[in-house]
Order: sequence, then C-alpha cells, then structure tokens
Amino acid sequence: MSDAATAPVSVFAPWEDPQAKPLIQFQNVTKRWGDFTAIDDLSIDIYTKEFFALLGPSGCGKTTMMRMLAGFETPTEGKILIDGQDVAAIPPNKRAVNMMFQSYALFPHLSVAENIAFGLKRDKLPKDQIAARVEEMLTLVQLNKFANRKPHQISGGQRQRVALARSLAKAPKLLLLDEPLGALDKKLRQDTQFELMDIQEKTGTTFVIVTHDQEEAMTVASRIAVMDHGQIIQVDTPSKIYEEPKSVYVADFIGDVNLIKGKVSHYDDGHAAISWAEGQPELKGISPLSLTLGSEATLAVRPEKLSIYTSRPKDQTNVIKGKVLDIAYLGNMSTYVIETPTGEHIKAQIANTRRIQRRQITWEDKVWLSFTETAGVVLDR
Amino acid sequence: MKRLALISVPYLWLLALFLVPFLIVLKISLSDTALSIPPYTPTLDLSEGWAGVKEWWAGLDMENFWWLTSDDLYWKAYLSSLKIAIISTILTLLVGYPIAYGMSRAPDEWRPTLMMLIILPFWTSFLIRVYSWKAILSNEGLLNQLLMNLGIIQEPLIILNTNVAVYIGIVYTYLPFMVLPIYSALERLDESLLEAAEDLGCSRFTAFWLVTFPLSKQGIIAGSFLVFIPAMGEFVIPALLGGSKTLMIGKVLWEEFFSNRDWPVASAVAVILLLLLIIPIVLFQRNEEKQREAEK
Repeated sequence: MSDAATAPVSVFAPWEDPQAKPLIQFQNVTKRWGDFTAIDDLSIDIYTKEFFALLGPSGCGKTTMMRMLAGFETPTEGKILIDGQDVAAIPPNKRAVNMMFQSYALFPHLSVAENIAFGLKRDKLPKDQIAARVEEMLTLVQLNKFANRKPHQISGGQRQRVALARSLAKAPKLLLLDEPLGALDKKLRQDTQFELMDIQEKTGTTFVIVTHDQEEAMTVASRIAVMDHGQIIQVDTPSKIYEEPKSVYVADFIGDVNLIKGKVSHYDDGHAAISWAEGQPELKGISPLSLTLGSEATLAVRPEKLSIYTSRPKDQTNVIKGKVLDIAYLGNMSTYVIETPTGEHIKAQIANTRRIQRRQITWEDKVWLSFTETAGVVLDR
Repeated sequence: MKRLALISVPYLWLLALFLVPFLIVLKISLSDTALSIPPYTPTLDLSEGWAGVKEWWAGLDMENFWWLTSDDLYWKAYLSSLKIAIISTILTLLVGYPIAYGMSRAPDEWRPTLMMLIILPFWTSFLIRVYSWKAILSNEGLLNQLLMNLGIIQEPLIILNTNVAVYIGIVYTYLPFMVLPIYSALERLDESLLEAAEDLGCSRFTAFWLVTFPLSKQGIIAGSFLVFIPAMGEFVIPALLGGSKTLMIGKVLWEEFFSNRDWPVASAVAVILLLLLIIPIVLFQRNEEKQREAEK
C-alpha cells in the first residue's frame, strides 16, 4: 500500500521478487463434489504480509479455497503448502491459521472478553498472559468498555470487531476473512475497510479475504485474484486489474466499462487498433495480449477516461461522433450515454467540477468523444 | 378494555383449573375424616349465615400435617420418590441427549421422519405401553428368553417388580419429553460456531463440551423438569412394574384415598408434594431471572 512515487525503495511487491518464498502455495489444486468441480486445477502463490483478495461471483469457488486453507475441506487433487509444509493431514485445530466467519460465529453464551480468550485458553497459556493478550486485543479494536457484554448486547459493527479480535488473538500466520463486512451498512463498511487495513499493517499478519464486493477488494487488497468457475482469471494489483484487465470478463466484472467490438486492424508490441464500424476511424489502445490481425477483439475503455466535446476536437486520437441519449446526475459526477450513428451506446463520465446550471451539454446534442491511445485496452473477443 | 379481556383469559383459566381445585384440596387437608358423604368434616353450610362460616373455620386445623410427620412412612415415601425421580431424570437425559443430538445432525429430509418416530408411541395408550413391559421384563418374559437362548445368562434376571423395572418404565415413557426440548435447542445451533471452536484450537470433543453443551442448557433444563415433575408423583408405573418394596408417594396417595378413604390425609400428602415441586422451580426461575437482569 506504499506509494510508488514517494517511496520507491519500499514498494511492497514480493510477487515480483523471484527470491521471495511464498507463505501459501496452491499447487494444481482441484476440489470436486460428485460431478461438481468447485476448484479446477488452480495454482497460486500468496506471500507473507499480503492482503490478498479472492473476488468473484457467488459459486465461483472462492469460499471453498478459503475453507481448504482453514482445513475444513481437503483438496481432491493437488497440494496446498503453508510455509512450505503440505497441510493436507493437519486438522483445523492444529493449523496456525485463523478464520473470521461471515456470520462472525461469536459464542453467544460467552462475554466479549471470553470470546477473545477462547483460543488462548485452548493453548493452555498462563492466566495473566491470557488476560494481557485479551486486553491488548480489546484495545486494538477499541472495545475495552464492552469486555463483559454478551454478543447480543452489542451492535453489528462491534460484533464484527470482536470476531476480528478473536481471530487475531492467537497471532496466526494467516488470517482468513470470509465476507467480513457483508453484514454492515455501507457507511460503516467503508470505515471498517480502513480499520482492517490499519490492523493488518499493525499486526503484520497475512490476510486472505473473500468477497464479492469489487469495491471492497479494490480498497483493501495488495493483490486481487478474480475468480470464475473454480479458476483464477487474473491475479494483479488493484490498479493493474482496473487499468489493464487481461480479459473481457475481468474488465466487465470490475467497475464500469465500455466494451466496443471490432476486428484487429493493427498490432505491434503492446499497442493495437481495432476497426469497429463502417466509415469510422480505427480506435487505438494498449494490449497485454498477442493478437492476430483480422481476429475479433474488444476494446475496453472506462467511462471516466472519455472526454466530451461540443465540436470535433483537433489533434485528438480515438474520436467518436454521436448524440446525447441520456444524462445521469450523480452529484460528484455525471454519466452521459452517447449513441453512435451505428447504434452503439457509449458511456462517458465527467466530474462535476462546476455547478450544474452551467452544463453546456444537454439531451439530443451532437457531441464528439475521445480518449487517449493508452486509455483503452484491446482484448480477445 | 379489549386488552384487559384478552389478558384475563389465561388468568381465568389458571384460576378455574388450578387455583380453585388447589384451594379445595387445601381445605380438605385441613379437615377431619368422617363417615359421611363427602367423607370429611366440617362442610361449609351457608344456610346458617355468618355463624356457619365461623363454625366451619373453627373446624379446620393442621392435624393431618402433624400426622404426616409422626409416621415415617410418609417422609420415607417422599425421599424414595425424590430419589427415583432424580435417578430416572438423569437416565432419561443420558438416553435422550444422544438421540436429540443425532436428530439435529441428521440430514434435513430425515428430520420429520425421526420426529414422527419419537412422537409415534403417544398414539397408543400409555397404560397398554407400560403394561406390555411386564411381558418383556418378567421372569419368563421376552428379554430373559432372548438372553437365555443366546446363552448370555443361565438363570433369568429378576427385573420385574423391582426399582430397575420402574426406572425402565419411566425412562421409556418420558423419553419424548426429554428429547424434544433438547432437539429444539440443538437444531437452532449455528454450525459455524463449532467450526469457529475448531478453528480456535478445540478438538471435536472439546468443541462439543464448550459450545454445543452449554448452548443446549435451556433444552436440558426444560426436558429435565418435564420428566422430573411427573416422575415424582408417578403412580401407574410403580404400581404396574414396581414391587412391594418400591415406595413412591403416588402409591401412598392412592392408598390413602381409595383403600383408607382418608381424604384429609391424602389431601395433606398432595399439598406437601405440590410444595416440594413448586418451591425448587420458583427458586430456580428467580435465579435465572436474576442472571438475565445482571446481563442487561
């Protein structure tokens, strides 16, 4: 999470370092239930101190991966290594891995402090040591005042923090978080995301989080694995996932995107162009893939990367003509839906830096859109 | 007004079917036995007005309760009933808990069937079911025949007409009352709590002991009361399966009423039995309430 521009030395990117030893290794892991394949020949390395997000729609296998790490499921094929050790034979209660459950799974008959102490007591630690650790955890999540309350006597957000404190109390090598913020309302969720990042940094624990909320994954994670049908589609940093998706699925899953279909008309070393409509100039973009000329391709470009002009812009590439079909005012920005002469709809987002009365563009106006050569990504199909 | 009417229904029910009968029994227990119909004096004669009420009141005394203390038959019967009720409640719990646990862990589609099997015995008369145990437990009964044919025993086991037969009868009869409340407590248990316990370092067994068991406490308490209370005053089971040595207060009560026709003493026995049952329950509930209040 360190900023590359201000501190280039301390960029946290162990996945780029060939010397770095991963904490977790999935080696060709497959998990099947009868005919159903939940995880399909999946391999991935996760490094110490990472905040790793497994992102995907429900049923994509992300929860199964997490449960295999916790020890509640075993792979049908392949190996899972933690710290270089095959964990297949290690039961959940013997793993240096703790999990924060989606339902929090707080013990209703125990107080907040007793919940946090639960795991420590199993390790048969001396009493004063347990008390000190519980106090430390309560301070970490700022719940000292509620130590003697029962779970049903505190709010949802507080319960979430108790669950976090309980799973961190044993100082696990790896903390698994299963949709940790799913039950919280939006405002609280945003605050808690930052709190989570803070705690992750403070404790130096490796976090693996499962979520279907792409915004949450983008906010907290050092790397995101986008999953679908038991496979990892792409693993990258949030900015790479957003700016340089390697497939239409990823581009479409994360955020808002315009997908313009066409044929590859030009390709050389990371740059590509597509011809997309009769009589329209080709559109240029970057491409992480190797494409063949003439094959079908899709240009993905984010709405906020587009500019709108009321007259044909000069000296601009990727100019598209159209008329305003719809305007959605979102407060901080407005989304314009532009219809091209060929009938395609393209979204453009413009920040509302001025007051709305001064808007120059309105419905049915003729406008020109443009974006830079590096704004769009040309992808397979 | 409407609300008052609605609230008053259960209270009227309790008044008519619990408090009034209790007061009648209490009154009889304070009377003296007599050769008349009804077999006790005094009876309230309102035709004589205020003087009649006065006379009636003067005729009531605690004599029968003193009588209960003078003969050791009664307190021995109370103690013996208490012992049998406690032991059979524990036995029912030991048998019922695993059944309830198994039911709550069974696949969803099996549960209605299992529930049906638990309730099914109620479709036959209680009396017939207890009576049929005689055929199973007697010296020439099914159990002894089976064991002897298998060569496990040479001499028949003497079970019928002993306390063991009474325990078997009570456990068999009251098992559903233990199973159902425990099952309903276990069924509500969130599976992820057990996973969380395991994740935090518990073995399966400690997870059960530290999570499942305490969370089914309410069901255990409810089930135990449902077995203990009727077992304490049980009459049919000891009468049919127990021997002459099986001393239970229900039997004493029956003898006083029907053999001796001593209604006042029988009523006194019943009043004491009621107090013995009510006092611990009230104390227990008050304790529970205090605990709940302390948590708030």
